[in-house]
Amino acid sequence: MFWKKNNNNNLFLGSDLTIANYLSDGLLVFDKNNKLVLVNLQTEEFFQTRKEKILGKSILELNRFSNFGPLVSLLTGRTKEFFRRELQVEEDFILEVTSTSMIINGERSGTLVILHNVSREKIVEKMKSEFVTLAAHQLRTPTSAVKWSLQMLLDGDLGELTKEQKKILEKIYKTNDKVIRLVGDLLNLAQIEEGKFLSKVILSDIEDIIQLIINANRKTIEEKKLNFEFKKPEDKLPKVMLDVEKMKIAIENIFDNALRYAFSGDKVSISLKYNKKEIEIKIQDTGMGIPQNQQTKVFTKFFRGTNIMKVDTEGTGLGLYIAKNIIEAHGGRIWFESEKDKGSIFYFTVPVKESFAEFITGGFY
Amino acid sequence: MAKKILIIEDDKFLRELIGQKLLKEGYDIVEAVDGEKGIKSIKDEKPDLVLLDLILPGMDGFEVLTKIKEDAGIAQIPVIILSNLGQKDDIEKGLKMGAVDYLIKAHFTPGEIIDKIKVVLE
Repeated sequence: MFWKKNNNNNLFLGSDLTIANYLSDGLLVFDKNNKLVLVNLQTEEFFQTRKEKILGKSILELNRFSNFGPLVSLLTGRTKEFFRRELQVEEDFILEVTSTSMIINGERSGTLVILHNVSREKIVEKMKSEFVTLAAHQLRTPTSAVKWSLQMLLDGDLGELTKEQKKILEKIYKTNDKVIRLVGDLLNLAQIEEGKFLSKVILSDIEDIIQLIINANRKTIEEKKLNFEFKKPEDKLPKVMLDVEKMKIAIENIFDNALRYAFSGDKVSISLKYNKKEIEIKIQDTGMGIPQNQQTKVFTKFFRGTNIMKVDTEGTGLGLYIAKNIIEAHGGRIWFESEKDKGSIFYFTVPVKESFAEFITGGFY
Repeated sequence: MAKKILIIEDDKFLRELIGQKLLKEGYDIVEAVDGEKGIKSIKDEKPDLVLLDLILPGMDGFEVLTKIKEDAGIAQIPVIILSNLGQKDDIEKGLKMGAVDYLIKAHFTPGEIIDKIKVVLE
């Protein structure tokens, strides 16, 4: 009960339930035997049901009401004292579910579940990434057209060019290639934010994927006269659950930085380590490094080190953000050590999972 | 006799660029701006090869490819997909449906596209 002191009179403001009924969030309280003891109006509204039907029922009994299915599996699937998850009840109806144990005198007295309607935010988010996807797709045709016409000019298809003309055109060509890459990055970004990022997850050999990436970069390694080494473990690594295309993008992004920000003659290496639970990949360079004061921002969108911006204008600042998202979607971790003018070491892990089912339950949340 | 290439592409500038390059290389060209006209041109002109865009107004490139492969009279004409769509799923789908090659526009220059065409025609 809620009371308020007013000129020596106690004013009644309402019972717990009255207040609960005026909340815009849905509220469910389960007692220590997991029986439902309180629901508010908003919950009745969310699940299109009357409280008379559901009060006194246990969590498992609620499963019989089809509307409650997704909520019940969410609540019974988690054992933690506190958790917060998004729950898609219907298309375009998404609740953020917070569940917390209530403790009285050190004893668990029940569970409080709060349902917060985030549908509008989710719809807006979806519209935003759809817009980015559409805009990026629309940019692809004109950037291809520019690439093609510049290449024809450079090939001399439309007449011989002077040295100066050629030089400028080559610069335009490179700039346009940067736009093409940026458009590609934006599409990856939009997909990450739509949350549908991993599509085809299969048991794969990460060593093979890395080897392919190295082979594709042979030319750069030779041109920059880099001292490159791929340190493979002596024993064959176990296969891991990967979305190969996506993991390739992540590794390419990290490796590309190592190559790009290394100076001629620098050392670059990739090494692999396996410790039963996960494979750790280490990509090291003795290049420009990241200034200490900017290291906390490395994985944020559009980050570029101030030292590299002076020498390299091509990066988009999205590579590591995308890599981090991809690696985390696989249930892995990414971190780094870096010192300005000494170089960087990026590490990431990929968990070793026996089956797809284990991958789904272990990795995604 | 010069080999005949049909370009199915809705963007005028891209069509002109690739057409110009092909003419220079000594090919005959036929152009179509959408799927329906593309199918008609294949039947009327019997080209030696089709360059097919995927995102087209009306009937899209995948439907065009299906129609080509269903029609015994034209099914043997090689089709190279030339598209903006670079997702692995799209590439696999295109190749599975019978395209001989799949080129992503932004990753290839006109010269490289011609090289691919030459390989297929040989």
